[in-house]
Amino acid sequence: MGQKTPQIYSVELNGAKDMKQTDKGDDKDKYRGLWSTCLELRKNHHKEHVTKEIDLDDHKLSNKELENKYHTNIVTGLSSTQAAELLARDGPNALSPPQETPEIIKFLKQMVGGFSILLWVGAILCWIAYGIQFSNDKSSSLDNVYLGTVLALVVILTGIFAYYQEAKSTNIMASFSKMIPQQALVIRDSEKKIIPAEQLVVGDIVEIKGGDQIPADIRLLFAQGCKVDNSSLTGESEPQPRSCEFTHDNPLETKNIGFYSTTCLEGTATGMVINTGDRTIIGHIASLASGVGNEKTPIATEIEHFVHIVAGVAISIGVLFFIIAVSMKYRVLDSIIFLIGIIVANVPEGLLATVTVTLSLTAKRMAKKNCLVKNLEAVETLGSTSIICSDKTGTLTQNRMTVAHLWFDNQIFMADTSEDHFKQTFDQSSGTWASLSKIITLCNRAEFRPGQERVPIMKRVVVGDASETALLKFSEVVLGDVMEIRKRNHKVAEIPFNSTNKFQLSIHKTDDPTDKRFLMVMKGAPEKILEKCSTIMVNGQEQPLDQSTAEAFYTAYMELGGLGERVLGFCHLYLSADEFPETYSFDVDAMNFPMSNLCFVGLLSMIDPPRSTVPDAITKCRSAGIKVIMVTGDHPITAKAIAKSVGIISANSETVEDIAKRLNIAVEQVNKQDAKAVVVTGMELKDMSEDQLDEVLTSYPEIVFARTSPQQKLIIVEGCQRQDAVVAVTGDGVNDSPALKKADIGIAMGIAGSDAAKNAADMVLLDDNFASIVTGVEEGRLIFDNLKKTIAYTLTKNIAELCPFLIYIIVGVPLPLGTITILFIDLGTDIVPSIALAYEKAESDIMNRKPRHKKKDRLVNKPLAVYSYLHIGLMQSLGAFLVYFTVYAQEGFRPSTLINLRVEWEKDFVNNLEDSYGQEWTRYQRKYLEWTGYTAFFIGIMIQQIADLIIRKTRKNSIFQQGLFRNKVIWVGIASQIIIALILSYGLGSITALNFTMLRPQYWFVAVPHAFLIWVYDEVRKLFIRLYPGSWWDKNMYY
Amino acid sequence: MAALHEKKSCSQRMEEFQRYCWNPDTGQMLGRTLSRWVWISLYYVAFYVVMTGLFALCIYSLMCTLDPYTPDYQDRLKSPGVTLRPDVYGEKGLDISYNVSDSRTWTNLVHTLHDFLEGYSPAAQEDNINCTSNKVFIQESFGAPNHTKFSCKFTADMLQNCSGLQDPNFGFEEGKPCFIIKMNRIVRFLPSNTTAPRVDCAFLDQPKDIQPLQVEYYPPNGTFSLHYFPYYGNKAQPHYSNPLVAAKLLNVPGNTEVVIVCKILAEHVTYDNPHDPFEGKVEFKLKIEN
Repeated sequence: MGQKTPQIYSVELNGAKDMKQTDKGDDKDKYRGLWSTCLELRKNHHKEHVTKEIDLDDHKLSNKELENKYHTNIVTGLSSTQAAELLARDGPNALSPPQETPEIIKFLKQMVGGFSILLWVGAILCWIAYGIQFSNDKSSSLDNVYLGTVLALVVILTGIFAYYQEAKSTNIMASFSKMIPQQALVIRDSEKKIIPAEQLVVGDIVEIKGGDQIPADIRLLFAQGCKVDNSSLTGESEPQPRSCEFTHDNPLETKNIGFYSTTCLEGTATGMVINTGDRTIIGHIASLASGVGNEKTPIATEIEHFVHIVAGVAISIGVLFFIIAVSMKYRVLDSIIFLIGIIVANVPEGLLATVTVTLSLTAKRMAKKNCLVKNLEAVETLGSTSIICSDKTGTLTQNRMTVAHLWFDNQIFMADTSEDHFKQTFDQSSGTWASLSKIITLCNRAEFRPGQERVPIMKRVVVGDASETALLKFSEVVLGDVMEIRKRNHKVAEIPFNSTNKFQLSIHKTDDPTDKRFLMVMKGAPEKILEKCSTIMVNGQEQPLDQSTAEAFYTAYMELGGLGERVLGFCHLYLSADEFPETYSFDVDAMNFPMSNLCFVGLLSMIDPPRSTVPDAITKCRSAGIKVIMVTGDHPITAKAIAKSVGIISANSETVEDIAKRLNIAVEQVNKQDAKAVVVTGMELKDMSEDQLDEVLTSYPEIVFARTSPQQKLIIVEGCQRQDAVVAVTGDGVNDSPALKKADIGIAMGIAGSDAAKNAADMVLLDDNFASIVTGVEEGRLIFDNLKKTIAYTLTKNIAELCPFLIYIIVGVPLPLGTITILFIDLGTDIVPSIALAYEKAESDIMNRKPRHKKKDRLVNKPLAVYSYLHIGLMQSLGAFLVYFTVYAQEGFRPSTLINLRVEWEKDFVNNLEDSYGQEWTRYQRKYLEWTGYTAFFIGIMIQQIADLIIRKTRKNSIFQQGLFRNKVIWVGIASQIIIALILSYGLGSITALNFTMLRPQYWFVAVPHAFLIWVYDEVRKLFIRLYPGSWWDKNMYY
Repeated sequence: MAALHEKKSCSQRMEEFQRYCWNPDTGQMLGRTLSRWVWISLYYVAFYVVMTGLFALCIYSLMCTLDPYTPDYQDRLKSPGVTLRPDVYGEKGLDISYNVSDSRTWTNLVHTLHDFLEGYSPAAQEDNINCTSNKVFIQESFGAPNHTKFSCKFTADMLQNCSGLQDPNFGFEEGKPCFIIKMNRIVRFLPSNTTAPRVDCAFLDQPKDIQPLQVEYYPPNGTFSLHYFPYYGNKAQPHYSNPLVAAKLLNVPGNTEVVIVCKILAEHVTYDNPHDPFEGKVEFKLKIEN
């Protein structure tokens, strides 16, 4: 069928032959590009870079020379002993699996990374602080040691969790790669044997036939009608003929070499193995992927940015208060302890765990929607994606030829091309259809594999090429049991398709017992078929083929060809019973039957139709501001047609060529600004400079790259990344793996994808469906928004936890909040609520806004930090201090007494410290009161964190717009906060080590007014943001 | 950390930073124009003023709810702490050691006692009344001048031999030192209703080879007279001074470190809190070298 296609296009593009020729020339460079390193790929059109050629000259050698070179015999093959020796020398014929990172490295990797570093630094600082304290005073409190240990534990536990999550998705992936071991038919010791392909060695003589995967790089010694699909190697989807003649200097060009992992589509061949395993060409390419660096995920960049902010704030506050402490005549050593304490207090201990859990929750949600995320951080990447470079075949399309249009009775009929088309709705009453359907059924060599009666027709496995499969399934759907029809119309002679004839013919007895005539049916390239016809069937009646009908034929042919469809013509002839009696012996070589004056019946066109969900998904992408670029190895016309049908090129946009055609002017005269869409071929791309490519990428909103090699995909990805875009790339072939790796997020196809592609990708689409990407985008955007909320929530109380320490240093009140208590907030009450924010629904339609700008829309921006720290954080601190002062005042220490009490308060040998009433306190009594203060402060923060949690549900909308009760998990979070606090205060209140005491119930409510104040303040903030978008307020208060 | 990975030269960074500090094109300083800075500062000033005001209001109303005479809760002061004079602290708690023959080792201790008893001179106790009832001194009304309540006098001479009057060296010289024991004040706290609380000193772990500790208490029996209780707080009783008990240890073995515990025996005083070594009792190490 490969040979059929040029004719289809020849109608549209005069001189497709030339084009094919130039394409070949381009392919040559394209292939060479494989051998220059991938990093130089962008320049692979410059000759100087194309130096590293493959040293393969086997294609130039004669059979004899080959036998000598490999010490083998073409007829008898290698001997078993020879083979065993060679196997021992070269190793098995399999691609060595991509280098696995050792599990321990993977595990350790989880514990370094931006956020963990912050915690590690915090932990080490704590231990240093303890070291200083201990050297100073042997009886110093162990709080710092606990804190450091907890910080380290948090990192380790979170690391284990993340590792476990990722290992789980790796396991799902592994289940995909369970492939049936490949077999090869080999001649050894003069015998044909079937051995596992892994055991092949150079010099082996193998036989392949249609449907086989070529088991190694082989030099063909004999071939009959052999065609291979090299798409996994070159991206070219046209079948390539193979013969044993040496036709080109370049081993990749010559026809007498078959490559490992490509598929033999039809015909048979015998070849000698010349390369095995990693030394094969595909093996070389697979190893190239490892040379491409993996891009850092956007969320990793964001978290790093966040760590910078936190570290910046921590160090500035720390240094500021260090200076204050020193100038307040604190000892320098104490001041250093304060400095460390402040820095560590700024570390949000719980956030790492929260972020990890949140990401894995989303990853789980995405996995349910068939997006398997390999790397947790990649969860968000899709959300910030601004360009998707998508494959055509399999991703956008169903990856199977399907009958799309029919032309008979001077009319074009449309066939249903959706995934499960059971009903064909075109007019089937015409007599022409009866004849046409007969031809379709009979002139077809494809057959269903037996034993699939229960399988839906569209899913059955068929033996035969793609076009015939399409026709078979089509006729099965429309007519019912095709095999039965064929049986009734016994085939007496047949000429299979070949490239010189460009038609296929068979002669049958008819199923009408009264009709003794033979029926000759023929299909083939439409113009070839038409040449042989003198009549045309219209409404079941034969009519002479005149000029006007011929014109109608050409119009239809051009129209269908213009849709990028593969068109076939069908004709038939009833052979007169007188001339061809029942006993007539047909001789296909002598052609003893008429080959002209046939009756033309109709045209039928096929296409690999788009998946039904794709157009909708593309529309969503577009409204989400994501540019979808199609990158395909297919012919530009087909690519464009599919692009148009799925909406990558929208209905009303035109390319320069379209405009030229419409206005009837030369392409050069068209104002390029008028064109919204462009189809760039690999050949054009090859001649473009980086700037030109950038120009194409920026000036056209709708781009299709056709006839590109997988290598050019990498160039396109790099071009997009130069525009500061976050690029998602889909791919399945081994050759896609460099591009998948280079992309910000590589998306491999779960079903069609090769292992190498899946390995290089960050995400695997389990159903190969483009529409799944859209759900991924949605989840990614949501998680970004929700992470913002989580971080804002977490940062707020950081100030409320830090203020006590600062006040303690500056004002000298007894420490309002202890280290251990802080840990119970960060890792206790606050964990569930901050995770609950991940379940928050989107505030507005997140799929209607532009993707975030990588460098401008940060996860943690200035307004977020400022608002959390200086507004809500401050209000929280005040509320919590109120509880603290209330507790102290009611126990006897009025606020005025507390000021500067610190030194006396902490002296172990002052056991009669006077309070505001003149009562005297022992050290332990004070300590107990201090713990009550901790508990009070803790409760104060907790109560206000509930308000904080509620306000963080939205960033712009009122809580009442969002609905207080829509996210049930938030309420689980609030309940968990309260329950944990109750347990700590009342359950564990008697365990002195935890520094919690039983708090009077009324103290739980002291901060409630502040909590309401926070809520009201935030509602006002949101109200003004909604009322005055773009205003000063909006800029400063919207995070 | 990551900032270092970004490929920017140092001069570029400086330039960027300078541009951030002062951007001549937009007239922005540190990312804002002058007027924007004024606006944002005004906002913050206003915001903080309001917040501080609110907080002050809260604290003010809190203070309004407080009773000036009695704290709302005394759950942390169920039993009074006990302190000791002279108070020298070692690694763990009170640790007193001196050499009888070397007066330099104990003059400081004696000094502490003298200083402490300064507050119990007749002059210092002038404003207090003499009480002899030995019964709890309940005063519901503010009978004393300036709307206060009466406090009972406690003068140093009530400590007799340990008053520092007869023996200015408090017995340190002869190896029979006086220690003064004070009970912490707690508002409206009654150690017992009928019998006066009494101090009882003994070795913490009675060593087998030495005799039980012999103690002479002043005032006699080592009691805190009940008329010093209850305490009505420093606003009602500005001149109140805690009653004291002096314990003169008569047979402290020389050249050995002993641990002595003085407990207060009274109905409402507990001394068995495992966490608080000073609640209802005081422990101290004593080592007298000859």
